[in-house]
Amino acid sequence: MGLKKLAAKVEDYNARLESGKASKIKPGHVEAVLQKLRAKSTELEAEIAAATSTDKKARLQGKLAIAQTHIARAEWLLEELA
Amino acid sequence: MTRYYLPIIIGGLLLAFWFSSDAQEIAAGVAIFLFGMLMLEDGFKLFGGGALERILERATGSTPRAISFGIVSTTLLQSSSLVSVITISFLSAGLISLIGGVGIIFGANIGTTTGAWLVAGLGLKINIAAYAMPMIALSIVLVFQKSKPLRGIGYALAGLGFLFLGIHHMKEGFDAFKDQIDLTRFALTGLLGLFVYSFVGTIATVIMQSSHATMVLILTALAAGQISYENALALAIGANIGTTITAIISSIGANFQGKRLALAHLIFNMATAIVALVFLAPLRDSVDWISDVVGIAPGDYAMKLAVFHTIFNVLGVVLTLPFLTRLITFLERRITEPVPDVSRPRFLNEAVDEFPQTLESALRKEVLHLYENAAELILHGLNLHRKEVFATDDVAGLVRKSRSLIELDIDEDYERHVKTLYAAIVEFTTRAGDKRLAPEMADRIYAMRDIASDIVQAVKSVKHLRKNILRYTTRPQNVVTELYDSLRTEIARIVAEIQKLDMAALEDRSALWLDQERARIEEDARLTSVRVDALIRKGKLSAAAATSFMNDSGYAYGAMRDLIKAARGYYIERDSAMAELEQLLSLDEEELNEAMAGRGNQSVSTASKRTVT
Repeated sequence: MGLKKLAAKVEDYNARLESGKASKIKPGHVEAVLQKLRAKSTELEAEIAAATSTDKKARLQGKLAIAQTHIARAEWLLEELA
Repeated sequence: MTRYYLPIIIGGLLLAFWFSSDAQEIAAGVAIFLFGMLMLEDGFKLFGGGALERILERATGSTPRAISFGIVSTTLLQSSSLVSVITISFLSAGLISLIGGVGIIFGANIGTTTGAWLVAGLGLKINIAAYAMPMIALSIVLVFQKSKPLRGIGYALAGLGFLFLGIHHMKEGFDAFKDQIDLTRFALTGLLGLFVYSFVGTIATVIMQSSHATMVLILTALAAGQISYENALALAIGANIGTTITAIISSIGANFQGKRLALAHLIFNMATAIVALVFLAPLRDSVDWISDVVGIAPGDYAMKLAVFHTIFNVLGVVLTLPFLTRLITFLERRITEPVPDVSRPRFLNEAVDEFPQTLESALRKEVLHLYENAAELILHGLNLHRKEVFATDDVAGLVRKSRSLIELDIDEDYERHVKTLYAAIVEFTTRAGDKRLAPEMADRIYAMRDIASDIVQAVKSVKHLRKNILRYTTRPQNVVTELYDSLRTEIARIVAEIQKLDMAALEDRSALWLDQERARIEEDARLTSVRVDALIRKGKLSAAAATSFMNDSGYAYGAMRDLIKAARGYYIERDSAMAELEQLLSLDEEELNEAMAGRGNQSVSTASKRTVT
């Protein structure tokens, strides 16, 4: 997926970090964001299950897709930092 | 006022210098002392790196903590005036409570007594000028260092050196002065002496804007035998009244809370002074008794004055504390909170200009105020009510039902409720930009200005939409009404989502959620275009109406994008590492499309379903 672009962003971030222009991201930071994203994802799944209209279901599924992409990216980043 | 005040002061000083060279030494001593205080303040600001402000935010959890903070900070800074100015600034920015602020002022009154001990105990007993010179010489080496903390230490050391040097010159001046003129001839006894010298103490402190400097002047004059002990006591009482002038001056630019605190300061110090004047005789006896106990010589009036200063300030706090809640109630009744005028800046005032923390916090609050006004105007512009939009689970259903016209002059409301606030924010950020802020803080300040600009752009877009919203959605006109209803729905959903984000607990929310809305906007824009094409082909929408709608949908999606951009900037993590992380994880347009691609077919089929309806 879009992990190539993320890898490029990380590379750019590392360069800024080395030159002292960025703050260091620690695994704990990623874990905190992951927790928020997973909670949101669970919330969306519950909303999808409760939704009655197809239109609303479709909208919520779109949101869920984005939340899951964020989770995948955060998990990848966590591995990179480990 | 300044027109008369300044020439009188300068004229008076020149006249005194003409008659006595020793007066020059005393005045120079006062000036060096005040200069030292300024350097000490600058030093702490640099050295502390905002630590004082950060502690202040947490130090007002309870009245004892607030009082302790006032004592400690004033002891360290040797300036109750600076502590009161910081407190007013924080109170105006809404970072501390009024009761906490009053507690700090109480503590500052006790903390300021340490200055008298320092001067009476050390300054007059040993040759402090011998320490002043090396301190000043060493400090200058540190002041020229690049490191901020080192420079801070340098300024603080220089400040202390100049304080000592100032005391030395005042002492020397008074010692020499007594050989020429005996000021004790002007000593007054009885009630008249009390009131006259209290008044002189007040005026001297108002002029120097430092009770600390007045106390040093009193102590050195007393040690040189130039004033009587009784008159020195009255002068010290007067200095306590005069010191409230700094808080009064800084409250002029503050909001109602800052004014309340300045009034509390005045009431408290006046009450303490009255108690001290009324009970002067028993207080003197107490001073003598304590001096005996701690071994202060009966003739050491300077030390006795320090004891007196401490006793009457502590007594003032002890006597006032039981009435603290009543004092707060009185202040709240006396200076009422003005009815919020949404068209005026609520948080940006001169009092919050002073410190980076208050400056940023006030600006964030004002931007939120601007957003609230803008959100209301946007929804009213779409003939929707904010409360209903935030309460419903079915925005589309609510929009379909909302056909009544909301009476509104959108141009006038924009000028009054949005543009005035935006102008104040721009002016404030420009002023902040002139200050020497840390680069990260300057970036955050400018980011706030950009957020305000995005909010304003969103309102402007809705202004363009308003005409056709009125034309097509106040009475059903088939397909055109449906098209405009879909735009109203999508904008209202964005406003509702931003509200949800704002309401979410700080530890739960993430600006990344807004990527979901960004993806939604782009998909909706695409689907709307597909739908319009289909309607034209089927002859259900004229080319002219379609062109008009496409223009309006451009404004609508522009408004949505601006709102999301503003919310992303506003709700981004304030911790710099977390903000970096959110930026890394955030998706660009292409990535959003990729993420939605899994639902691609479904979206197209949904679009086709919507197209044929």
